[in-house]
Amino acid sequence: MKAKETLIPRHEEPAAAAQPPRPAAASVVGISKRFGKASVLENISFDVAEGEVLVLLGASGSGKTTILRIIAGLEMPYTGKVILHGKEVTELPARERGVGVIFQSYALFPKMTVEKNVGYGLRIRKRKEIKQTVNELLSLVQLEEHRKKYPSQLSGGQQQRVAIARTLAYKPEVLLFDEPFGALDTQTRVHLRREIRALLKKVNVPAIFITHDQEEALELGDRVAVLNVGHIEQIGTPFEIYNHPATEYVATFLGAANILDAVVRKGFLEVGPAQIPATLESFCDGACVKIVFRPEDVSVNRGDFLRPGHHRLASARIEEVSFVGAYERVRLRLDLGGADECKTSETPYYLTTDTPESQAQATKSIIATRPKPEASATRLQVGERVVVALTSFTVLPEKSAKGTS
Amino acid sequence: MRHVRGFDVVRPLSIGMLVFMMLPLVFLPLASIFIFGTSNGLDKFWAALMQPEAIFALKLSMATSFWATVFNVIFGLFASYVLSRYNFWGRNALIVTISLPTAIPTAVAGFALLLLWGPYGTLGRLLAPQGIQVMFTAGAIILANVFVTFPLAFGVIKPVFDTMSRSLEEASATIGATRWQTFWHVTLPSLRGAIVSGALLTFARAVGEFGSTILVSGNLAGRTQTAPLYIFAKFNEGQIEAANAIAIVLALFSFLIFSVLFFARDWLDVD
Repeated sequence: MKAKETLIPRHEEPAAAAQPPRPAAASVVGISKRFGKASVLENISFDVAEGEVLVLLGASGSGKTTILRIIAGLEMPYTGKVILHGKEVTELPARERGVGVIFQSYALFPKMTVEKNVGYGLRIRKRKEIKQTVNELLSLVQLEEHRKKYPSQLSGGQQQRVAIARTLAYKPEVLLFDEPFGALDTQTRVHLRREIRALLKKVNVPAIFITHDQEEALELGDRVAVLNVGHIEQIGTPFEIYNHPATEYVATFLGAANILDAVVRKGFLEVGPAQIPATLESFCDGACVKIVFRPEDVSVNRGDFLRPGHHRLASARIEEVSFVGAYERVRLRLDLGGADECKTSETPYYLTTDTPESQAQATKSIIATRPKPEASATRLQVGERVVVALTSFTVLPEKSAKGTS
Repeated sequence: MRHVRGFDVVRPLSIGMLVFMMLPLVFLPLASIFIFGTSNGLDKFWAALMQPEAIFALKLSMATSFWATVFNVIFGLFASYVLSRYNFWGRNALIVTISLPTAIPTAVAGFALLLLWGPYGTLGRLLAPQGIQVMFTAGAIILANVFVTFPLAFGVIKPVFDTMSRSLEEASATIGATRWQTFWHVTLPSLRGAIVSGALLTFARAVGEFGSTILVSGNLAGRTQTAPLYIFAKFNEGQIEAANAIAIVLALFSFLIFSVLFFARDWLDVD
């Protein structure tokens, strides 16, 4: 998180404040967790504002589920605090926290009908207006006609809506979703997450989602926290983390990213023989950095005439052109002949989907994507020489893998 | 062997052989109880059944089995809960110990109880001066039944506990339920089928218990004589009809229990 101002040579969007502007509905402060000797979480802190949706995005084993279980009170943290609406609840058992958890398997009670499931929280609290609340919730999640059915008679999506209604019934302080779409097919998943996002905005309950699906994270979250083996790499709006990743991990985890070594010079960046104008106050002259850019940030040009705002990177040869549905993917081999001052022994670049083998910087291939209209306007041939320019990129310090600088 | 257009000779042959094997092993002995018991007319059968000692023996069997069942179902639930929810040192040893009575000969079980609770037993010796006599009472029969049927309910309930998703109970807790509410509203309903079948198995087994009962009860007619002991006693006295009448009742009773277990399986496992 500290690395935030150190990057971003150009701003498409005024950098949105990372801190939520509204008071925090739920906060996690300095949480760490160990299972035996293995440390699974290290010093995790974040806030969720009233009505906000925060997504914890991470690969399996990143500790995201453990964070959720700690907030819910199903797991005790090793150190740190959980605060809900200003009240510390770290020591409280799950049932006294008033947190709603939507489990991956929904965990609907199999021997209760839909309406019994939804009314459960009110029944055990011995509330009076059970029937009315259940009716309201069932109409909110559009399951009125299924009220007498048992969970096993419902589809996955319906079961999930029951699970949500069941937690909303007792007005939870915060909703926690544990990989809620994991068990559903792609179509239902996309449909449901839009529906749930709309629903959450309607009921205005803060929510924390857990997912390993970056597309889901970007679409659902007001903010996204990217987790990597037990620590948070970056928290920010979907726009921020996608366009200005703070670390290499974030860059590559959120979709395809091209990464090149570069050297900082006064007023520009040196990538091989290419010089890209950029003012980088936080790096000293001669510092070795990495520049990160998305495939869609690459513009492929036939001539040397570039549109304003496009920065010439290098000439390249087209290696492969493939059709991937919504867009065209082009693999280009860059001519970065110059001496490389920042050669490292490690893999000098990462591409999430292509060519895992290590290559020298001098002949490096990158991935570009082109939208349909552009692809059909200028057809590219394999072997053709083109000029590659960048429309946007992010600069990361050389050693960003650890997250903290 | 030749296959003619999907006709598999092995099929009728093996079915026939199975039925033929079961004939002398199961069907005929059972049938003979009914044939013999009713051969002198139903009124004779009825009169034999209505003997006060016979009625007492049946009632005693039902009562002792009932209490043994109640105890073992509750205990089985508790043991299953502890042994499937918590992992601790010695857990497997406990599971083996609970299941052990299945393999112990019932006479050994009865004898062991005598050595503990009998007038000269380890504990019985201390209780006797207090005027407390555990053996040779209905209580002794219940103790023996509990011992012998110990693993039955546990064996049926524990697998259900093991496969039950933890997230159901966790969901209930996050919704705000206490442990007891969770157990009552969430855990127990899922165990209904296992509890009913565990109870029926325990009861059926306890009603038929002979080996341990005859040692610990003293076999006193009208006082500590259960139905199986009555059959044995009457047979020894040469009163075949009296023995036969009770045998028919016990056989019918076990049919009933097993039909419930078999035909109500869907109801028991409904989810």
